[in-house]
Amino acid sequence: MAPFLTARQIVKRFASVVANDRVDFDVGRGEIHALLGENGAGKSTLMQIVYGQYAMDSGEILIEGQPARIRHTRDAIDRGIGMIHQEFMLVRRFSVVENVVMGLDAGKGPMVDLKAAAVRLKELSQRHGLQVDPWQLVEHLPVGVQQRVEILKLLYRDARLLILDEPTAVLTPQETEALFCVLRELAADGRSIVIVTHKLKEIMAISDRVTIMRDGRVVASVKTSESSEDELARLMVGRDVSLRASKAARPAGRDVLRIEGLHVADHRGHSAVAGVDLTVREGEILGLAGVDGNGQSELAEAIMNLRPVRQGRVLLGDIDLTCASPAEHHRHGLAYVPADRRHVGSLTDLSIGRNAILGRQGAFTNGMGLMDEQKIAGFASGLIERFDVRPRNPAYIAGKLSGGNLQKVILGREVMRDPAAIIVEQPTRGLDVGAIEAVWREIIAQRDAGKAILLISAELEEILNLADRIAVIYEGRIMGIVEAKDASLASIGMMMAGAGQADADLEKAS
Amino acid sequence: MRKLIERRTTPAASFTAVALATGLSVVLALVIGGLLFLPFGANPFQAYGALFEAGFATWRGFGFTLVKAAPLILIGLGTICAWRTGFAYLGFEGCLLVGAASATWFSLQVAEGGAIGPLPFAVFLPLAVLVAMLTGAVWAGIVGLFKSRFGGNEVITSLMMNYIAIFLVQYLVSGPLRAKGELPASPRLPQETWLPVILEGTRAHAGILIAMVAAVAVWLLLLRSRVGYELVVTGLNPKAARYGGINVGSRQIIAALLAGGLASLAGMVEVLGVHHRLVDGLSEGTGFIGIVTALLGKLHPLGAVIAALLYAGMSVGADAMQRQAGLPASVIFIVQSLIVLFVLASDLLRYYAIRWPSTPCRPGRVIMTEAGRK
Amino acid sequence: MESDLVLSTFLVAWLAAAVRLAGPLLLSALGEIFAERSGILNVGIEGTMLIGAVASYLVALQTGSPVMGLLAAMLAGLAASLFLAWMYVSVQANQVVVGIIFNILALGLASYFYRLFMGGVSGPQKIVMFEPIAIPFLSEIPLLGPILFRHTVFLYAVMLLVPVAGFVLYRTKLGLRLRAVGENPRAASTAGISVSAMRYVGVLISGAAAGAAGSYLILAQVGLFRETIIAGQGFIALAIVIFGRWNPYKAALAALVFGAADALQLSLQLFQVGLPPQLLLALPYLLTVIAMSGLLGKANQPDALMMPYRRE
Repeated sequence: MAPFLTARQIVKRFASVVANDRVDFDVGRGEIHALLGENGAGKSTLMQIVYGQYAMDSGEILIEGQPARIRHTRDAIDRGIGMIHQEFMLVRRFSVVENVVMGLDAGKGPMVDLKAAAVRLKELSQRHGLQVDPWQLVEHLPVGVQQRVEILKLLYRDARLLILDEPTAVLTPQETEALFCVLRELAADGRSIVIVTHKLKEIMAISDRVTIMRDGRVVASVKTSESSEDELARLMVGRDVSLRASKAARPAGRDVLRIEGLHVADHRGHSAVAGVDLTVREGEILGLAGVDGNGQSELAEAIMNLRPVRQGRVLLGDIDLTCASPAEHHRHGLAYVPADRRHVGSLTDLSIGRNAILGRQGAFTNGMGLMDEQKIAGFASGLIERFDVRPRNPAYIAGKLSGGNLQKVILGREVMRDPAAIIVEQPTRGLDVGAIEAVWREIIAQRDAGKAILLISAELEEILNLADRIAVIYEGRIMGIVEAKDASLASIGMMMAGAGQADADLEKAS
Repeated sequence: MRKLIERRTTPAASFTAVALATGLSVVLALVIGGLLFLPFGANPFQAYGALFEAGFATWRGFGFTLVKAAPLILIGLGTICAWRTGFAYLGFEGCLLVGAASATWFSLQVAEGGAIGPLPFAVFLPLAVLVAMLTGAVWAGIVGLFKSRFGGNEVITSLMMNYIAIFLVQYLVSGPLRAKGELPASPRLPQETWLPVILEGTRAHAGILIAMVAAVAVWLLLLRSRVGYELVVTGLNPKAARYGGINVGSRQIIAALLAGGLASLAGMVEVLGVHHRLVDGLSEGTGFIGIVTALLGKLHPLGAVIAALLYAGMSVGADAMQRQAGLPASVIFIVQSLIVLFVLASDLLRYYAIRWPSTPCRPGRVIMTEAGRK
Repeated sequence: MESDLVLSTFLVAWLAAAVRLAGPLLLSALGEIFAERSGILNVGIEGTMLIGAVASYLVALQTGSPVMGLLAAMLAGLAASLFLAWMYVSVQANQVVVGIIFNILALGLASYFYRLFMGGVSGPQKIVMFEPIAIPFLSEIPLLGPILFRHTVFLYAVMLLVPVAGFVLYRTKLGLRLRAVGENPRAASTAGISVSAMRYVGVLISGAAAGAAGSYLILAQVGLFRETIIAGQGFIALAIVIFGRWNPYKAALAALVFGAADALQLSLQLFQVGLPPQLLLALPYLLTVIAMSGLLGKANQPDALMMPYRRE
């Protein structure tokens, strides 16, 4: 019997990046299939192609052995494919039943019969153990229940294939367990399920089969029962190390940046950082490893007071900066290179010169309150020279710079204010090899100059190459801190996937 | 077979592309306007010729153009300050009115028998500017405060404030400021407070000079000063502004104060230079047309000045054309607004690239095949 | 006794006028609700009303039929809003900018076409208007009868449109989709709803309604066209939508409040009361400013209002 879904040789490019490179993927009936990979491995892209949200460049999709043209979400829905996105696709001001029937063409005539829909919904929710009141407004429901609504939405459309993108990211362990019960029961019912995730423990707990993607390609597809967490971790992150950064051993100095018991909420008001303690010392790079979305961005923003701190303190030397304005952070010697170069770190419509002075515009103003253009041009030229920015023109519009050159401008600007500590977030994301090396060199140079550096990165390779000590963050908590020389790819990978340090050590011992 | 027209992922942003798209918009709008002259039995070329001649080429007409341009420039400058900071303010009509009202009030105070008494013009004018700007700044500042402190919607609140200003002026001219025994209007302002005529034999008054000074000031402030840098950064990207240590809320309020102050100067210029009294229906949309000219001028002070002069000249020409040839002046409203709408729509055009089928076969050019690249 | 009579006569006259004046405001507000519920702030209804007014005047004058005038106004409104929808949805230009400029364009167009057809005619020409029809029995109810049931067919139709709008918005698939698109276009799109199509529908409904509302002023109130006939009533409709919290029934109440304030200042001017009439006129605007200021918390506007959406 043909598998429910077969994807053959799928290729998808975004501008110059190949997100899916000749991907083969299939899901059988009644199978729970995990799709594993790091950020940017191409798993979400693949699933969005299957769901009709992206058009593939080449390849074909078969449903129950028959070629299927899926060009719109509607085609996918009609073919019995349903997807639950990481960010729930619910209208918060609609009731549960309105959310479930919206977009459906069921029933004759132009009217919606919400009452009849509610009755059917009630039946479905009872049959599958998904308790929910059809008439409640979605915005009043806890996240776990909202997910139930998403599942019911698919069941109401009688989806034969359910794709769940990072379904447990927002759930508590208890809710996760409940979700898994439902999924097992749905699979027993003959439905196919794909879980997109990077959490190894959950894969072991729920899936029948795992497909591992890396850099847009399928690396392996294995039966879960014949694999192990260890093997999966290696498959997921264990690429050939293509880059090496050389750095001399250097004893760390006094504590510079201290973060004590920090609690931060994300934009929805849920806890994103839950009691983080970190200390970064003079002349040291502390690498904060972790899969994206585990509270790193919120942590960095909270340190700079770009996001309110719920609880805890941020100290730079003896100065408490918890409630200080971002400008005061700069003044006291804390610099920040944000992850989002184009939307936070720079002003893409302005010149390199205007970008080079962002945050220190006061220093480039004369007594009349006017900008000192000569001084700005001189400073920008200096920055361009020192960091080898191309083109070498301070009037060039920053938005037209390549990612690497733009990052050099941002990093250069932050470094040139001679701060005591620098937070560097995802500094090489999307850069080419040459630019990565340049950025790494500069980060190491700053460490050697005695700066305290907090390097936040989802790239394990980067962390292992640069950091003197490595902390791993998972769901807003620090899972462990190890000396870089004692760290192994596997142990860090395990912690990144939510296994505690104790577990990781045990693994190593055995 | 290659498609003749391909869709780009980002719009073409080169100077040529933008200039071409803008030029096309202007031509298209003028063509549509020209067609509208036909039912009236006029030759479009002659109509346009007469129009530009009346607005720009006669001494008297040029004077009128300057009179009409002054408030448009000031409103446009206010628009630039607000919109460049990301403050989508639409309340310029209201600012103009309250500025006109306060200037009227102040002018009446320096009349014979007023609370202050006669002042030399050189003392009066700076004070009047100050009074008008303060009123407008407070008027727009309220909306700015609502937005930056309470997250209010400035689009709606500023629109509504326009009507409150209209009724305020109506109240003033029918109550406290009403001249005895006349239609609802304030008493005539003392002649010593009128803006002097600057071009012999025309109506052109010193208002245009005030507008020009303001344009230079806004240019310096916005594009050459630290505050301006922070305003522009706030408008371009509030996230980056906060990251750069800029207090976004306070910059929005500064923008509101500036915008209100400049727009209220337009009101002062109108009462001291044209009407010489406060009347109901003083503005008739100047507060909105000023926004349009600022947009046509790409939110740059120099651009806004040029666009305002063109707009004013075309309006003056159109009025003359209507008086003399009986052609509808409204065509010019249509042409002017169509230009802006087409410029906006031409952004869509820039998403498309034309690929001439001949290009791949141009001799002497080596084309790599897909296989050849690997 | 006598003062009671005077008072009740005044009340009835006042409220009847309030209902009459509320008609066009309510009509364009009802349409605007559909545009805004789909995520488009259509500031262009002010200009669309003017286009509707001139179209209805010219056609009613030619045909002698107010019904034809109304139809022409709706068609003109639809045509105008098709252009607006294209600018808002397909071009994705800034909605406020487009709306504001369109209003100036509409002023030019209305004035142009009026001159084109009426240029040679001297003196204003009055048209055949909708006449008030007292509804049997209902109009005899004390107080309520004269206030509600002695109006034109046009106004009765507007009254009927309130529950119709409510029904479409809350009880039909179209309404559900429209609201979904205005709240969360991404979610709507993943559920298979075409965001663009719904937004076009929303803007077109608002255009037809605004055109008809413009014709109301001609066909049921004034009988003559002049360029200042709309005088900001489109903007008032925007305020009514906000005051009515994007709900047709509440919008009807809000329109009544605006109409009542307008009618009251007219009466007060007759009665020479000490209160400045402008204060009453300004009151609804003042209330709108406060409602939208954020002082009383966020008004519950559709989440995606004024947010362009581009399918990935």
